[in-house]
Amino acid sequence: MKRLFIILWMLTSLCLCAFAQKGLNINEVFEGKVVAKQYMQESLIKGENLASYNLKVLHTIKFSANNSQRARADALFNMDMLGRISDDDSNMEMESRDGFIYYAIVQLTDNENGVHRYICYQCRPRSTKFDITLVYMEGDASLADLRKTFKKK
Amino acid sequence: MKKVTSENVQEYLARYMEGESTQEEQRLLKEYFDSTKDLPADLRPYAQMFAVLEEKQQTPSVEALNRFAEGQAPARRKLLPLWPVWAAACIAAFAVIFLTPPKNEENMAIAYVDGKMLNNEAQAMQMGQEALQEIFNNGNEEQQLTDLFNKQ
Repeated sequence: MKRLFIILWMLTSLCLCAFAQKGLNINEVFEGKVVAKQYMQESLIKGENLASYNLKVLHTIKFSANNSQRARADALFNMDMLGRISDDDSNMEMESRDGFIYYAIVQLTDNENGVHRYICYQCRPRSTKFDITLVYMEGDASLADLRKTFKKK
Repeated sequence: MKKVTSENVQEYLARYMEGESTQEEQRLLKEYFDSTKDLPADLRPYAQMFAVLEEKQQTPSVEALNRFAEGQAPARRKLLPLWPVWAAACIAAFAVIFLTPPKNEENMAIAYVDGKMLNNEAQAMQMGQEALQEIFNNGNEEQQLTDLFNKQ
């Protein structure tokens, strides 16, 4: 019986993990382990709604962070940046201020189905805290396409 | 244990009739009566008796059969093992999770604000677009200047 419960627990965990951004360190932030989910604004969009952007998944979170939370989110994002395609402008843009990322848009290596993956981060100082925005995207759109769509002319 | 012979059979029978014989002795007696063809007349009734006793041992009584048929015999109810049921449930759950096409997952737009889920596609889309616009416009000099002034 005990063994059965362990198997069931393992299967359930597997199913839940399948919904998260696979294998990324910033999952910790998305999952509310850095700042609790109740203090976040989150949107999770999949499928037809994103067809016009040529995307399949768009997951965004916004939250206010203190110094240590900001440092943690920054470090996790930096770790995931190691999986970037290249430092080339066509695959990445980034700006740092005071030793921390101010904003970054990074194309990661494609997933096993050849779908492009992007992680984006923005940290703006706001009095004693920091307003952080974190985005995960998946789809066929290139970074150039996304710039065209979302950058104000 | 001695073998039962025509010489000592009376002795064994006497012990049997007194209820003092062992099971082994009873077996030897039965073997003797089964295997000996030309029994003296005084021993033939015993041969018949052992034959009847053997039959009785092999065939259950009518009462016993009736009790069995009516379920009166206090037999212990055998419980079915639970693990096949659990295994079937696990397989069914997995089939549903992994083999069913993910209808809702293919098209979903959910927003969470302060821990509360808002099942509002338009709001989720707006939040997603705003987040992307904010990030993608960081490279704009105009936006950076705005941020700089906000900071000061």
